Amino acid sequence: MNNIFIDIDYAQIFKHGQKIGGDVYLLSKSPEENHIVSTLSDGLGSGVKANVLASLTAHMAHRLSFSPIDLSHSAQIIMDTLPVCKERKISYSTFTIADIRYADDLEKIDVNLVEYDNPPALRFRGAEPVSWERSKTELQREGAFKKEVISHSMFELEIGDRLVTFSDGVTQSGLGKGLPLGWRLDGVRKFIAEEIEKDPDISSRELSRAIVQKAYSLDGLASKDDITCSVIYVRRPRRLLIVTGPPFLKESDEIMGQKIREFDGKKIVSGGTTAQIVSRVFGAKLTLDLSCWSKDVPPASKMEGIDLVTEGMLTLSKVATILEKRINPADLPNDPAKKFVEMLLDSDQVHFLVGTKINEAHQDPNIPVEIGIRRTIIGRLRKALEDIYLKETSQEYL
Amino acid sequence: MKKSKVKVRICLGTACFVQGGADLLLYNDFVDPAILADCEIEGCSCLDECKVGNGSAPYVSINDKIYSGVNQDMFCKLLAEAVKNA
Ligand code: FES
Repeated sequence: MNNIFIDIDYAQIFKHGQKIGGDVYLLSKSPEENHIVSTLSDGLGSGVKANVLASLTAHMAHRLSFSPIDLSHSAQIIMDTLPVCKERKISYSTFTIADIRYADDLEKIDVNLVEYDNPPALRFRGAEPVSWERSKTELQREGAFKKEVISHSMFELEIGDRLVTFSDGVTQSGLGKGLPLGWRLDGVRKFIAEEIEKDPDISSRELSRAIVQKAYSLDGLASKDDITCSVIYVRRPRRLLIVTGPPFLKESDEIMGQKIREFDGKKIVSGGTTAQIVSRVFGAKLTLDLSCWSKDVPPASKMEGIDLVTEGMLTLSKVATILEKRINPADLPNDPAKKFVEMLLDSDQVHFLVGTKINEAHQDPNIPVEIGIRRTIIGRLRKALEDIYLKETSQEYL
Repeated sequence: MKKSKVKVRICLGTACFVQGGADLLLYNDFVDPAILADCEIEGCSCLDECKVGNGSAPYVSINDKIYSGVNQDMFCKLLAEAVKNA
């Protein structure tokens, strides 16, 4: 698994009273080609018409980015296709395309950024704003009253770097409501730097949300335009190890202990017998925590060195069901399954260490069949994590 | 002289939990508080009884003696008796 992770997310609030946005954000990943394209487009005006134009632009930008044509040329094609508004003599939509390519090991992440008429994107290294050179190309289109400028830049992103793009609904928020000129680029830059300062590891999801929320509140909770913001953050992956099932051979208990000890990340042990083995190998005491359980999920235990210790099959199958049904953890009872799900959702990479010894107790015909087979449940968990939550997963047997 | 408390362990391994252990965990709702005051109740992981196969889950250990197939009624009686004999 890679040692670098690209965390991308966006947030959006539509203009007050509109059910559809004139800002369109598109994100596509092509893992086989190590290629990500993030496009933000703002159609002139708001509502359906603006949405159609912005979608058109965003989709074109996307298609072209995934084709072998170089990005500046693609931008030109888009510009030539975009109609110019008859009355206002300006083009119908703007765009920011971040085309991200990376080496297999992710050690080098190249960004190709093309910007047309959106507020300029911002970069941060940690909480420090970074400025960089952009080259400008001027285009004179038929029917347009002025030349239009496309700016283009190329740079590398390193661990701890962020690239933030947004629509003018962000920079112009607050206009006429206490801020004579709106929030403006400087205000936005300062706000982001402060947010990162407060929480250096803030996720792209949280940061984009914070920015959009701030703009919304500057607009007096009635946005005057669509507000959209996307964040790209390069960081170390958050890893989670799930250990479940006793090893097939007793001699492997030590190996299991070793693997747990060496794992760099959070750790969950799931299964009563498994927990006893780990407790013995670690020489750590295992105590049941009777404050955290529900009628479907037995109590968790506490053990030094392990972040969460749960019962096995009931808990795992409950967790699988929660993931498959996309239940929000906030709506769950306070039991170990909830904690388990929260830890899964907080991770980027999940590794399963699966012991294959069969538990005689579960051969009992009185026990519901669905808790029967460990491998089936792990298969469900991995599928849900990958397909629904886009996590990376891996597995090894012991 | 003060009586020593009755030591109660409710098995919360998977087999016991699904077959009634969960009901016993609600002991605060159905056992006489006066009796509870003289007991020290904790949960424990699989007692390995379920694998031997004499008797049925859920298993409870009271002062190190194992009882099988314990339901709420039986749990009350067992505790009351143990407290009386302590
Ligand atoms: S689960 Fe209770 S004895 Fe095994």
